[in-house]
Order: sequence, then C-alpha cells, then structure tokens
Amino acid sequence: MDTTTQPTVAAVRKSITVQADPQRAFDVFTAEFDMWWPRSHHIGKSPMKKAIVEGRAGGRLYSEQVDGTDCDWGTVLVWEPPHRFVWAWQISAQWQFEPDLAKASEVEVRFTAVPGGTRVDLEHRHLERHGMDAAAIRTAIDSPNGWGTLLDMYAAEAERRRA
Amino acid sequence: MVTYEHPQLDALGDGTRRAILARLLDGPLPVGELAREFPVSRPAISQHLRVLKDARLVTDRADGTRRVYTLNPDAFESLREYFDQFWNHALAAFKRRVETPSPRASGKKSTAASAKTDQPRTRRR
Repeated sequence: MDTTTQPTVAAVRKSITVQADPQRAFDVFTAEFDMWWPRSHHIGKSPMKKAIVEGRAGGRLYSEQVDGTDCDWGTVLVWEPPHRFVWAWQISAQWQFEPDLAKASEVEVRFTAVPGGTRVDLEHRHLERHGMDAAAIRTAIDSPNGWGTLLDMYAAEAERRRA
Repeated sequence: MVTYEHPQLDALGDGTRRAILARLLDGPLPVGELAREFPVSRPAISQHLRVLKDARLVTDRADGTRRVYTLNPDAFESLREYFDQFWNHALAAFKRRVETPSPRASGKKSTAASAKTDQPRTRRR
C-alpha cells in the first residue's frame, strides 16, 4: 500500500570559513580528501588505507582497504572546481553501498571567496531517502542512549507484527 | 539516560500504542483505518493517538474529512543528528588540513583529484 507523502528530514547545513583561497579549499576537500576524512568512516570490511574522490562528474568516491579491495560509497554529481562539488552519499542505513541513487542522500559543498579566506557551505540533504523502515531506524541509532533503546523497542515490535 | 518522566517513554509504555507506531512505519494512515485494524474502539484509538501526538511521536493532518496520522520525522532525528555531529567533526578536520602549511601546496594547483601519490599522510607538527 503506497502512501501519499514521504516524511522529509530537514537537511543538515554547516558553514565554516577557512584561511585559504577557494582553489586550495576545493583541492583539499577533493584531491586531498584522504588527508582529512575521518579514518573511521568507511564501509569496507577491513581498515581503510586511502579515501579517494575521482575529480569529475560521474566519478566515484571510494576507499581502498588494507585487504586490497575497493569500496565504493558515493558518486560525483556536480564537479565545478573551485566553487561547487555535489556527491551522492550511497551508504544505506544498514551501512552497505546503495547503488540506487534514488535511495541516496546528497552532499553539496560550495566554496565562496570572502575577505581573509573562503566560506565553505555544506548541505547534506534528502536524508529521508535512506528510509524510515524498522531496520533503518534500528541500525541508524544503535547508540546505547535512551532514544536508541526506545526505538529498538519499537522496531522489535514492528518485526514481531510483521512475522 | 531515559527517565520515567519522559513523555515519549510513557507513550511507548503501552502495547497498543507501540503497535500503532509499528503500523505507521509502513506509512501514514487515517484514524478510521487504524481503528479497523486494532481490536479496540475508535474512541480508544483516538485517545492513544492523542497521547502519541502529545509525545510528538506522530503528527496529524486533515485530508478531506479524514485525519491522517504520520510518524513524526522529527522524532527520528537520530540519522540527522548523527550527520550533524559527523559534519562538525569532519569539517573541523578539513579546516585544520586546509590551514596546515602543506609541503606540496606551493606551485601545485591540481583541480583533478589524484590518487597517484601513495605517500604516507603528513604528520602535523
């Protein structure tokens, strides 16, 4: 039974100013992605060796793992150096690669020259595309806090009812 | 830690209300349809929905003469909160990197991302 409206989730928006020109900020964000990306953030089965952005529209965001495998997790949607970079965040709520772009969120980053540097505006949007099903809710919030516990309860209830 | 004064925990402390939420995981439903699916009276369903609404776990809207209930996405902020925290952390690391003098920064302006160098990550001193 399909539904009339999908709930939407407000985009996450961040702005920071860095002391560098837009070209350097853009290059660090993309070409030097591996130099700043949190090492723990990959979906490979072994530790991450290197995180890579292929600098062109349609390019991949992927990681090289120490076990020799590559692990895709995104696709470049807009490549406009040094001003704008958009990619599809193709990690499902189950921490798997999501090949379907319709089920991926998007991250847009804009680089604007301001006195003394560059303002970097980031928007992570369409988070609802990652799904609100029971498994998504359960795994997205597996932290041992109150909310996690509450939602666990009700994800369990959902599964009980579906069984 | 959750306290027992938590209105959402209270709202979830009832099997029928948990079942209503579980049913709404599949999508919005009008109150009449919920009432048909549960072995309780329609006024009882309405009462449960009011508790869930007061706890901000569901929202409602009018659809013609019907009232349609939806899980409140704000109650499921966890994914959003996760990214909110994640980007604070990641952008701070990005800023540190941009503002760290790079031995390769002078004279080199590549716009294409390159994976060609496999040199170890530079250590910040």
